[in-house]
Amino acid sequence: MAADRTAPLARTVTVARPTVGAPVRSQLRSVALPSLVGNLGFLVVILAIGALYASGGSSARDLLIGDLFVNLVLVLGFQVFIGNTGVLSFGHLGIASVAAYTMALLAVPSDRKTVLIPNAPWGIPEIELSPLAASLIGIGAGIAVAFLLGLVAARTSGLAATMITLAFLAIVRQVAENRKDLTGGAQNLSSVPRIDGWTWPVVGAAIAVGVAVMFRSSKVGRYAVATREDELAAGAMGVEVFRPRLIAFVVSGALVALGGILRVQSLGSIGPSQFSFEFTILILAMLVVGGMRTVTGAIAGTVLITVGKEVTRFLGDGPNFLGFDWPVVDGLPDLFLAGALLAVLLTRPNGLLGEFDLGRWLTRHFVRRPARAATPGSESAPEAGDAATADVPTDPVVSAVAPAGPAPADEALTTAGLGVVFGGFTAVDDVSIRVEPGRIHGLIGPNGAGKTTFVNLLTGLVEPTTGTVRIGDRELTGAPYRRARAGVSRTFQNLRVFPALTVRENIAIADLVAHDHRSHRPGVSVDELLALSDLEHMADRSAATLDYGNQRRLEIARAAALRPDFLLLDEPTSGMSSAESLAMVDHVRRIATAIGSGVLVIDHDLGFITNICEYVTVLDQGAVLAEGTAAEIQRDQRVIDAYLGSQHG
Amino acid sequence: MTQFVQNLIDGLGNGSTYALLAVGVSMLFGVMHLVNFAHGELLTMGAYVIYAMRSNDISWWVAIPVAILSAVVLSMLIELVAFRRVRAASAFTLLLTSFAIEILSHAAWRIGVSSTPRRYEAPDIAFKVVELGPFNIEIWDVVSILVAVACFVGTAIMLRTTMFGLAIRAASEDFDAARLMGVRANRVISGAFAYAGLLAGIAGAIWLVRRGQADPRMGAEPLLKAVIAAIIGGLGSLPGAVVGGLSLGVAEVYFRSWLPSDLQGLTDSFVFVVIAVLFVVRPQGLFNVRTAERV
Repeated sequence: MAADRTAPLARTVTVARPTVGAPVRSQLRSVALPSLVGNLGFLVVILAIGALYASGGSSARDLLIGDLFVNLVLVLGFQVFIGNTGVLSFGHLGIASVAAYTMALLAVPSDRKTVLIPNAPWGIPEIELSPLAASLIGIGAGIAVAFLLGLVAARTSGLAATMITLAFLAIVRQVAENRKDLTGGAQNLSSVPRIDGWTWPVVGAAIAVGVAVMFRSSKVGRYAVATREDELAAGAMGVEVFRPRLIAFVVSGALVALGGILRVQSLGSIGPSQFSFEFTILILAMLVVGGMRTVTGAIAGTVLITVGKEVTRFLGDGPNFLGFDWPVVDGLPDLFLAGALLAVLLTRPNGLLGEFDLGRWLTRHFVRRPARAATPGSESAPEAGDAATADVPTDPVVSAVAPAGPAPADEALTTAGLGVVFGGFTAVDDVSIRVEPGRIHGLIGPNGAGKTTFVNLLTGLVEPTTGTVRIGDRELTGAPYRRARAGVSRTFQNLRVFPALTVRENIAIADLVAHDHRSHRPGVSVDELLALSDLEHMADRSAATLDYGNQRRLEIARAAALRPDFLLLDEPTSGMSSAESLAMVDHVRRIATAIGSGVLVIDHDLGFITNICEYVTVLDQGAVLAEGTAAEIQRDQRVIDAYLGSQHG
Repeated sequence: MTQFVQNLIDGLGNGSTYALLAVGVSMLFGVMHLVNFAHGELLTMGAYVIYAMRSNDISWWVAIPVAILSAVVLSMLIELVAFRRVRAASAFTLLLTSFAIEILSHAAWRIGVSSTPRRYEAPDIAFKVVELGPFNIEIWDVVSILVAVACFVGTAIMLRTTMFGLAIRAASEDFDAARLMGVRANRVISGAFAYAGLLAGIAGAIWLVRRGQADPRMGAEPLLKAVIAAIIGGLGSLPGAVVGGLSLGVAEVYFRSWLPSDLQGLTDSFVFVVIAVLFVVRPQGLFNVRTAERV
């Protein structure tokens, strides 16, 4: 076993180091391209089947296929926001409505408008633009509205955003119904220039696929996904919540605007009830049934619901089918819609396809990649942990990966009088410590001593009542993501990996932030971090499938990828056996040396702390009880009384 | 002044129905962080039960209790079949599940009965007006308000004195901690659905006596009002839901009597804008859920 362990570690050292550069571009090439090809291919298949179906029947079939492609644009528009941020929006069709009305008001022929809406303001009856120009302005209006609504929706958390967008949809409809001078009210505004055939809907759907795929693999899209997976952990990795969500909202608003315009242009008229709540539910069902997280899922869901509704409509009309007369059933398509949605939500909340993306699947199975042999026998982590205790070749690896060890930053992490009071309870009281650059510093104390609260104060999850945090003479203030970018990155006591993302992507997101905000610090590439953490053979598995020990090491690797000045590790060995803890000691040392950061390790296990740390601070009841070298602390009578006393007494 | 008081009475009459529904919505949010858009379907159920019984000449004295009972049973059934399975899921899944149930119910009534409304005759008392000095008071408004007040008082007593009430309050505060203290999750949630169903049934009875018809989509609008009321009061806060429901009922009447006629159609929009602003300014609602004293 021991030999097996050494082998992969030693081997990784010889792997040529990829240049630490342009992670976005490489992501576009390796993820976006296959996904784009796969999903556009999917579209072509649908188009072919659709053409076959339509060629054998009435013009109603023509319309159905046209509708399918228009709905695809809308569903993919929803997917960009909802799928990537995990925030449910009911308001997107309100955006579509605004865009479509703008287009219609500009494009309906002047002579028709003087009859339909003679009293419209701003000289609208005189204006007559080409359908294309009107459509572009309509999309612009949709983007503007999406931006304003997004400012509100992206700032609030999940449920509030849902309610606000729902209210927006209702408001748009009411205004459209009541501003009769402008919209003609409940009377539909007809004579909208029509598009014939499927050309534009298909082009629209292809554009939507392109935008959705590119957004998902763009930097901002990956940040949005990180906030979906875990808002808190994303913040701790320097990822802001508001901006990616706002951008996602605007991009999805633009697509939905396009979809709304296409819909109105294929119908030739527009009315307030066209973009209704019921239609929103239909689009959401298409999104959720297939799987909102991937473009493939969204497309599959759209096709599935469209086919299902068509079949149930056919059956509900009371046809003579399969030899006997079916009864007329009014409302059967709605029953199907609700039933399908409910069945998927109750049994597979992530949709039928979950994380499945056609392009990535094809790549994995049919495109030969340079062999990167998986390590045999190291799948079982507990054994690996046991073996590691004695034989992990710590030093050779460290020296090989980071030959000299990058020069540590020369600024210390200091707190001055840091404290916080919850209600009447002083959780942390006037704590001043100094963590030297490049050193491993321990923070220890019995349960409830305020250790985690102290880390929350450092990283901004809890606002301090008193005191300051500094790295060198820079004061760390504000939201967690700002502090992460300023140089502290952390792990969590109760594991917070991004569960649905792959191991590699977990680390890559922090690496992406590092490129923008921590580029002055020496970096270790994602591949090297994978190797250092012994995770490379499971790099493409989703993080949720890893066992406990591997998730712990992944979390540390992710924190390290941010290239922090200081790594804050909150109980990295909690729940581990002593053998595993010792392996963790080596692991933390290796990682810290590789990125040249200081480390603040929090634990309640004195053995672990004195083993790993040069300098130790002891917290008790929120205040500093003692400080000193590991040896001094072990001898300190106060520590023995307050801490060890309780453990051994 | 006369008009003012008259509006107040009308508004409280409407508002008491909203408040009864809102208390249920808020209670369910408290125990499982669900905004239950399927809650309005309990009214639809009650309506069809009343229609069925009245068209067979069964007395109102029987029809109303049976309608209320049917709401309780349907509420528990929905929990058992659907919400129990997604209890641990995200707010996203919960919310969408409730919408799916709502649409399923609409479709089921359309298929099972018809999409055209089914009418029944309202009893005389429903529209009886007595003149009391300068005011025209509808008897049924007074009945509504009295029944609602009785329910609120009953709920307050239930929450304070019964084990079930204690469990509901504990679960709303911190569900996990409540479980550790021996509160049975299934039982308290199922109980909350039953109780919310009871209040919805009563609200429905008040409303349906006057309404005189049952149709598949009838539950959606009052439920939306109730959700708004619960949001105004701070989701999870029961006194907040009462105040939210009553003030929404009153606000609607005043909006309608004061807004210029060309803005009348926008009444709901004004309410929505107020809600949206409220959400941004005070996400926790008018009452802070944590500090507001519970009913």
